[in-house]
Amino acid sequence: MKIPRLTTLASIAVLVVLALFPVIGIPLNWLNYLFTFFIYLALANMWNLLAGYTGLICLCPHAFVGLAGYTLAIGTWVGVPFQAGLIAGAGVAALFALIISYPVFRMKGIYFAIGTLILPEVLKAWFNFWRPVGNEYQGMGAGYSVKGVAGVTLGDTYWLALAIAAVSIFVVYIILRSKLGLGLKSIRDNENTAASSGVNIFRLKLSSFIIAASVMGLAGAAYFIFSPRIQPSGGFSISWLLLPLMATVIGGEGSEEGPIIGAAVVTFLRFLLADYGAWSLFIQGIILVVVVVALPQGIAGLLRHVGVYRFPQKLFQAAEDKIHKT
Amino acid sequence: MDTAVLSIEGVSKSFGGIHAITNVTFEVRAGEVLGLMGPNGAGKTTLLNLIAGVYRPDSGRILFEGRDITRYPPHKTCHLGIARTFQIPQPFTDLLVRDNLMVAAKYGNKRGDTLALDEILDLVDLLKQKDTIAGDLATVSLKRLELARALASNPALILLDEVAAGSTEAELPRILDITRQVRKMGKTIILVEHVMKVMVEAVDRIIVIDKGEKIAEGTPGEVMENEKVLAAYFG
Amino acid sequence: MEVTLAGLAAPLIKGILLGGLYVVIALGLSLVFGVMKLINVGHGDLVILGSYLAWAIMGWLGIDPFLSLVIGLPLFFFLGFFVQKFIINRTFRVSLDAALIACFGISIIVQSLCQAIWTPFNRSLATDYRLLTFAVGPVTIPLRYLLDFIGGLGVMIALREFLRRTYLGKAISAASQNEPVAERMGINPNRVYSFAFAIAMACAAVAGVLQGLTFSFHPTAGPPFLIISFGVIILGGLGSMLGTFIGGIIFGLTQTLGAYFSEGSMLVQTIAPYLLVFVILAVRPQGIFGR
Repeated sequence: MKIPRLTTLASIAVLVVLALFPVIGIPLNWLNYLFTFFIYLALANMWNLLAGYTGLICLCPHAFVGLAGYTLAIGTWVGVPFQAGLIAGAGVAALFALIISYPVFRMKGIYFAIGTLILPEVLKAWFNFWRPVGNEYQGMGAGYSVKGVAGVTLGDTYWLALAIAAVSIFVVYIILRSKLGLGLKSIRDNENTAASSGVNIFRLKLSSFIIAASVMGLAGAAYFIFSPRIQPSGGFSISWLLLPLMATVIGGEGSEEGPIIGAAVVTFLRFLLADYGAWSLFIQGIILVVVVVALPQGIAGLLRHVGVYRFPQKLFQAAEDKIHKT
Repeated sequence: MDTAVLSIEGVSKSFGGIHAITNVTFEVRAGEVLGLMGPNGAGKTTLLNLIAGVYRPDSGRILFEGRDITRYPPHKTCHLGIARTFQIPQPFTDLLVRDNLMVAAKYGNKRGDTLALDEILDLVDLLKQKDTIAGDLATVSLKRLELARALASNPALILLDEVAAGSTEAELPRILDITRQVRKMGKTIILVEHVMKVMVEAVDRIIVIDKGEKIAEGTPGEVMENEKVLAAYFG
Repeated sequence: MEVTLAGLAAPLIKGILLGGLYVVIALGLSLVFGVMKLINVGHGDLVILGSYLAWAIMGWLGIDPFLSLVIGLPLFFFLGFFVQKFIINRTFRVSLDAALIACFGISIIVQSLCQAIWTPFNRSLATDYRLLTFAVGPVTIPLRYLLDFIGGLGVMIALREFLRRTYLGKAISAASQNEPVAERMGINPNRVYSFAFAIAMACAAVAGVLQGLTFSFHPTAGPPFLIISFGVIILGGLGSMLGTFIGGIIFGLTQTLGAYFSEGSMLVQTIAPYLLVFVILAVRPQGIFGR
């Protein structure tokens, strides 16, 4: 039997430990923190895939999240159980990404950024007026509760979020080491050269875009199972853009571990500042600006620069060599 | 065998009001080295860009191995077997040298087995820099990397844009040698070159372009004595 | 509904006049984009901040919002100068994407600041003349729309003369057309950027007053203005002031005509400009006059 690499074993061990948390009596508020962390991590990984690896500064994650959330919510009103609604949500987000890719990939650079920014604004306005099922116009536009989730415990949503976060890490891991990853790196490096070397830029960007939309949709729908009420301002809130963007920038764009570090920081900040209302967002905005000016490579970049990785790397390498010799 | 691998028929291209290429027609035969000559700004690189698919002709046709590729984008012409180098090298600066080739090999080669990348690197004297980041290479090496990357996609036709520019006298024989070896692989080459020594010694035929029009066609000897050519260069 | 020429007159005139507001907003964005190739995604929020500032000064000193610009304009000018000098200029050393992210951060900061200080509820600049109307033939036009148009024209002419006649203005023009050449002529690009951003902020202050008189506002009212003003400068073609003016009018008309033909649908009014921008970006990003 081939002995798997130490890092793979370590990752699986961490996964197992995390999965056991609800069962071994970890306090509920910690499960809450971790749930939020997992959702943010999935979003951050996908935003990093787009911005850091595909070169697409996509300002529409809140479109994917909102659409998935609404698909889930409206689904439960027409008899679609939330489990199926979760998958359907991801599917709708992916479909949306596919449809808009045709106009949106014609836009370059900042035009792409603004073009993608427009979409969630349109959706938010649309959902303010569109009420396909249910009666009464509740408060601020089409608000829906998610039905049928009364029996879902915090532990259940925790495992769901953990699974989605693991999927997001796995997806990035696989892509980076695949032919798609090489193609994406070439596009990020020099689009003209990539095209003349045979890379179908549209198709690769589209693959990346659809994958990111699907996982962001999954994460979004999972969030609305946990917090089963959605309205346009919440579903399409710009926070769903700010969070993965901050996590990626703070953690370090274009690195694999960056989003993990960043998501942890962002989750921590969210809960730390939760009592401060609008000032919480204010402080986060300041932190974002400070980080992008003072620490452009993010924390991961700083760690790499300082050489923090070299020690554990040597340790792992030595341990591996030892294992493989016996 | 005089089979035409590439056929340019009445191709024209304008940018705004500027006529970059006007009604150019010629053929490239399988296995030959065709030189493309002309004063600065004549439209040589534009012509290469038209063939590669970076620009679309306003009128005319381009046929490659019998297929109409007039409206094909760059990645599709690459898949069919046309590779090109850029006049100013455009490597993947953040990727390793071997990954530069790997991209072309994995994405550009749809015509057969992948080539031995090591052999290609050896041909252009870059084997030792296989694991160097392309951005760290010396400028001269970048030109050779361009060629290597073009070869990695296993092309039938290679468009070389000033591969000898910036090289010293001493380096020219090596460049000529590399060109000969590429030709021995059975590839057809279109060579844009200002360095006369390379042009004259490497090519079978020359096409001369001036102000977007073809003004002469023939062997190096014929072309060098053509009055229109002399007029274009020397006024 | 019956579409009549007389009925169309009102939205047509209103749309053209309203366009002035969008011109003022777009000019600030356009200046920064022209000089630094940067779209300040926080621009809309800064305009709203201008509205809030005017509102605050009005409440504090009891003066007309246009008079409040005596305080607001220099304040915004210096604010813009510092933001460019200490934040955005530094991000340029990293990449243009980093600058974009910094602008996004500024957007968040401004939005949340307004929300924290002034609560999420709608405000407007309630002056005596706000609700005045005047007649153009049989049509009744709100006075504030006319103020928008005058403002738009005024700011545009002022800016144009500034760029043409002052040394700083010429330096900014030069830098936006050809930075390396400008640098070789002894113009310090970073300095120019700081002044350009400062001027853009000053425009935002004026836009804030006009905006606050025309519409009501709340802390998150910024992004729609960003999107619309981006559409304006793209539609009109980059670098053309006349184009920006025409673009502003087209967007003004889009809103008023959209409201007219949809018989007041808020949805159409909100979405129509967005869709217009989206279509322009997808189909003709060089605008009407571009090649």
